[in-house]
Amino acid sequence: MGRDTMATDTAQSSTRTTHRDILPENALMHLGLFGAIALMAAPLVLAVLMSTQTTAEVYQPTTIGPGSNALQNYQAALTTYNFGTYLLNSLVMSIAVVIGKVTLSLLAALALVYYELPYERAIFMFVLLTLLLPVPVRIVPLFQLMADLGWTNTLLAITGPYIASATAVFLFRQHFRSIPDSLVETAHVDGVGPFRFLVSVLIPMSRSMIAGVCVITFIYSWNQFLWPLIAVTDKPSQVAQVGIRYIQGAAQAGLTQWGVIMAAAVLALLPPLAVLLVFHRSLRETIAIQQS
Amino acid sequence: MSTQPTPFDSTLQALGLLLPSVVVLGAFLYYPGLETFRLSLYRTLFLGQQTAWVGAENFVQLLTSTAYHHSFAISVLFAAIVVTGTLLLSIAVGYLLFTVSVGSSAYLIAAIWPYALPPAVAAILLNFILHPNLGVFTHYLEAVTPFTLDWFNSGPQAFTVVAVVAIWKQLGYNIIFVVAAFNTIPKTLTERATLDGVGHLRRLRSVYLPLMAPTLVFLTVMNTIYAFFSTFPIVDLLTSGGPGDATNLLIFKLYRDAFEFNSLGLASAESVILFALVAVLMYVQIRVSEGYAQYGA
Repeated sequence: MGRDTMATDTAQSSTRTTHRDILPENALMHLGLFGAIALMAAPLVLAVLMSTQTTAEVYQPTTIGPGSNALQNYQAALTTYNFGTYLLNSLVMSIAVVIGKVTLSLLAALALVYYELPYERAIFMFVLLTLLLPVPVRIVPLFQLMADLGWTNTLLAITGPYIASATAVFLFRQHFRSIPDSLVETAHVDGVGPFRFLVSVLIPMSRSMIAGVCVITFIYSWNQFLWPLIAVTDKPSQVAQVGIRYIQGAAQAGLTQWGVIMAAAVLALLPPLAVLLVFHRSLRETIAIQQS
Repeated sequence: MSTQPTPFDSTLQALGLLLPSVVVLGAFLYYPGLETFRLSLYRTLFLGQQTAWVGAENFVQLLTSTAYHHSFAISVLFAAIVVTGTLLLSIAVGYLLFTVSVGSSAYLIAAIWPYALPPAVAAILLNFILHPNLGVFTHYLEAVTPFTLDWFNSGPQAFTVVAVVAIWKQLGYNIIFVVAAFNTIPKTLTERATLDGVGHLRRLRSVYLPLMAPTLVFLTVMNTIYAFFSTFPIVDLLTSGGPGDATNLLIFKLYRDAFEFNSLGLASAESVILFALVAVLMYVQIRVSEGYAQYGA
């Protein structure tokens, strides 16, 4: 319907706009964009600045510039408030989830696309329907299951439930289906086994997609909060996001040490942000496919 | 329907490849998912040591509880605000990015980075910057306007702050999709609209947005799910559901009922209701995208 309106509108075609009109307007749009981006980044910039200030400076809202306490704040966050441990736990968890999820999903997609499989559709639906079961829907039994398995407070509890995924299987399946048949047939004629086929044909042809899934999964795992909060009660085994909750509580004795809290928050943001900056292209390409 | 050659024919091998995923999904998604339904019919006694069958009593309790009604109502309002706010801002930023094509790669990264922003970090940053006594933003806001920021005590203000943080965090994800959708719009359409001097708002409303409808529906569904399911850290680190019950969203209430008050049966009933919600949303998304695929809007 939008197109119809468009067609009638463009019927009275005339070149009213000249280059001179476009230029200042373009500058205005740059300004608007710059403003929007500055607004989105402002809290982060302020947090970085505040993470360098002493508590006395922080308690003066007009003191916005960089302070002299950066080293002490980050050191206190990393050692006194154990953020070094939390960051390491987050890193181990996220890398384990990335490796597990990508491996399991590649194998599943290989079976779904390149095998003659009875009930293939039913199996695919079984995988896909798990999208209806986000953590809050199964949180109580999952918590009890971890206790029964004796996994509470272990790496298994915060990785196991994340390593299989409908999204990753779906993305790899879509991608495998788009690989030209001729390549597959060549491999077939050569009598290549499934693992060789996966490693030497499929994976090299899916590099960008695999990178995209890795980035999405890393950011997703790193940012988890609710499930680690429940599954891990032993502080030294906790991840960085829940560490923020601990530090918020602990640094509140007397004057809240906001400089240290901001330092911890910046540290907890840096890894996923770095991954996004490096791999933004793969991320954008992969994420956009999910819509279909 | 697929004409893909299937080079491997061992069914046993295929099942072996599928096994790890199926086992993990079965054990950690389907089993606890089904258990939720069973538990929702029980009441837990003695701190979870014993359970008693109560039938639909947990659901009756929720349906007649004013606290639950309140939590449900504010969650719906919250989702509406977050979805609308996120979409409007993302469309605005996406349109600017699309129109200003010079140097847009750097702009693009500067606009999508909140995708990587952990919700807990988003919450703690704004907790500080909007702090009623210490916040930098609060200080300048109160210096230039008669407005007083006091969200520790004001329910509506606390609700607004939680919504602002939720929107901020969700912008990156939305802008990625909106920009991708703008980029699929045929160049000739834009050229004609520019030549005809069609104004920006008109161009958006009657040319671009209708063409982007499938993306907008998809984002509406994903943002709604986000608002209901993924905003726990934001509430937890900003308001803990308060003041009063002003920000006690369903997800926060569920956590408290389960893990603070140990009402595991009641919490499971709350999970079942959330499941119904996500099921309806997914169904809408599938039906609508099927409709677009069929009629090719």
